[in-house]
Amino acid sequence: MLLLQIATAGIATGSVYALIAIGIVLIYKCSGVVNFGQGGYVMLGAYAAYALTRLGLSPQLAAAGAVLILAAVGALTELLVLRRMLKAPVVAVMMVTLGLLILFRAVCLAIFGPDQIAFPQIFPQGAVDIAGIFITYNYVAAAVLSLVLSLAFLAFYRYTPMGLMQRAAADNSRAALAVGIHVSNQVSVAWAVSSALAGLGGVLLATLNSLSLTLSSIGLVAFPVIVLGGLTSLMGSLVAGLLLGMLEAFTDGLLTPALESFLRAHTSVYSVGALQQVVPYMLVGAMLLVRPQGIFGQRGTERV
Amino acid sequence: MLEARQVSLRYDGVIQAVDGVDFTVAPGGLVALLGPNGAGKSTLLKAVAGMLPFEQGEVAAGSISFDGRSLLGMHPASIARLGIALVQEGRQCFRGLSIAENLKAASLARPRGAATRLDMVFDYFPFLREMRQRPAGHLSGGQLQMLVIGMAMMGQPRLLLLDEPSLGLSPTMVQTVFDVVERMHHELSVTVVVAEQTVPRLLKMATDVYVLSRGRVVMHTPPAQADEETLQRVYLS
Ligand SMILES: Nc1ncnc2c1ncn2[C@@H]1O[C@H](COP(=O)(O)OP(=O)(O)OP(=O)(O)O)[C@@H](O)[C@H]1O
Ligand SMILES: [Mg+2]
Repeated sequence: MLLLQIATAGIATGSVYALIAIGIVLIYKCSGVVNFGQGGYVMLGAYAAYALTRLGLSPQLAAAGAVLILAAVGALTELLVLRRMLKAPVVAVMMVTLGLLILFRAVCLAIFGPDQIAFPQIFPQGAVDIAGIFITYNYVAAAVLSLVLSLAFLAFYRYTPMGLMQRAAADNSRAALAVGIHVSNQVSVAWAVSSALAGLGGVLLATLNSLSLTLSSIGLVAFPVIVLGGLTSLMGSLVAGLLLGMLEAFTDGLLTPALESFLRAHTSVYSVGALQQVVPYMLVGAMLLVRPQGIFGQRGTERV
Repeated sequence: MLEARQVSLRYDGVIQAVDGVDFTVAPGGLVALLGPNGAGKSTLLKAVAGMLPFEQGEVAAGSISFDGRSLLGMHPASIARLGIALVQEGRQCFRGLSIAENLKAASLARPRGAATRLDMVFDYFPFLREMRQRPAGHLSGGQLQMLVIGMAMMGQPRLLLLDEPSLGLSPTMVQTVFDVVERMHHELSVTVVVAEQTVPRLLKMATDVYVLSRGRVVMHTPPAQADEETLQRVYLS
């Protein structure tokens, strides 16, 4: 019973992580840049949706609007910032993405303040009853939406001409240029899609918890996901996202209580803190020792 | 068709790779662009295809035009859409994608009639049809060379630029590649420029011969005058 409840929570947050991580991998594949600012786009998405509801839009429309706004923000980031840094070392570009994260946080802090905000209800209130376990629609919707969208995106990437251009540009930019594919436009597209996915992820996370600046640190969870997934594999980030979500949920729901009750019985320690935030990194560390290329990564591939 | 006047090309702002070169390609021609290592053949072809800025290179002086239209400052993707295909050194293709996807990707810039062109490519290179679901990375050097030529055909070029297609191939494979080039030149009336160091077969096919050395044109003759001996002399000087 409890297990099912924990698993649902794990799947819901895990699939949102997957959505966010897929965006990071998409950009990495075609430009070699790891976007350390992804958490900033997650946070912006949630605040944008909130702001739109304050302007009078229905919560659902606001969520859709936020996704579109984030797509534009992503494309603009590429056009205004990254395109000007084509000749800069990749490390410098990554530092800039980190700078953007700090900038976005500052902007949101200035506009919305530091306090938690109750996020508008996007999905119907209530819960589904599965064999006596109640799972709120929020969780169901977050899981279904992110999973469906992740899979739809993977299919788009694999089966459409636009997806093929993305993959070609990611595989070999010189060859792509020579056959008439405008590689930097493909990079803009990757940024737009990635930010839109992050924005949606932000909206979903805010419906599961609440809206605050801490959403921007979600990027920290997305990194174990992509490293675990193998950095270049979209499918890998999907699987790793789910895995990590589950791991967090089970740490939080089973391991932590068990550990705490044990410690309380035998020592004077009362709490072990937020273990679920530590376990992902431990897992990644252990994983990388055994399989340096991640679950789905290929050994010895290099970016071109 | 292609006209380069007094072209000087540089890398990193200082390395002069090509210096005041005149290079003209008439419609329907098959031009041999010869020269030893470092002569500037690849650089010249890259300049035509607009690829130099992506290697810290630039056109420092002169003009390059295609059908009277200046190519200077154009993006390679736009140049490809005009009907110029460059088969680069190093058999540049998408090694992680399947052969079918490589060919498809090469047609996306000019998608009209892609199905017919795909049939044509498979007719030229039947093994590509059989292996079309395999990753391009699994092909041998010679097969890769065929694939990249096939990819160039998918863009329906009017001008095909081939950079050292024979490099690293066995003599029979070189013959096969040049058979294909000759066939394309005749059947599809594609104008062709082939950069090579020395290939006797190329001299037999060519309608015009340019010899570059250290960034300058040291010889421009009809193929009859460009025998091996003269070339050796030019290369060694
Ligand atoms: N990316 C680059 N950056 C700097 N210099 C370069 C670059 N590419 C070529 N060069 C220089 O430009 C000159 C011409 O090189 P290019 O590659 O055009 O010669 P090539 O005739 O194609 O020779 P090869 O037959 O060896 O391919 C050489 O001196 C080379 O060192
Ligand atoms: Mg060369």
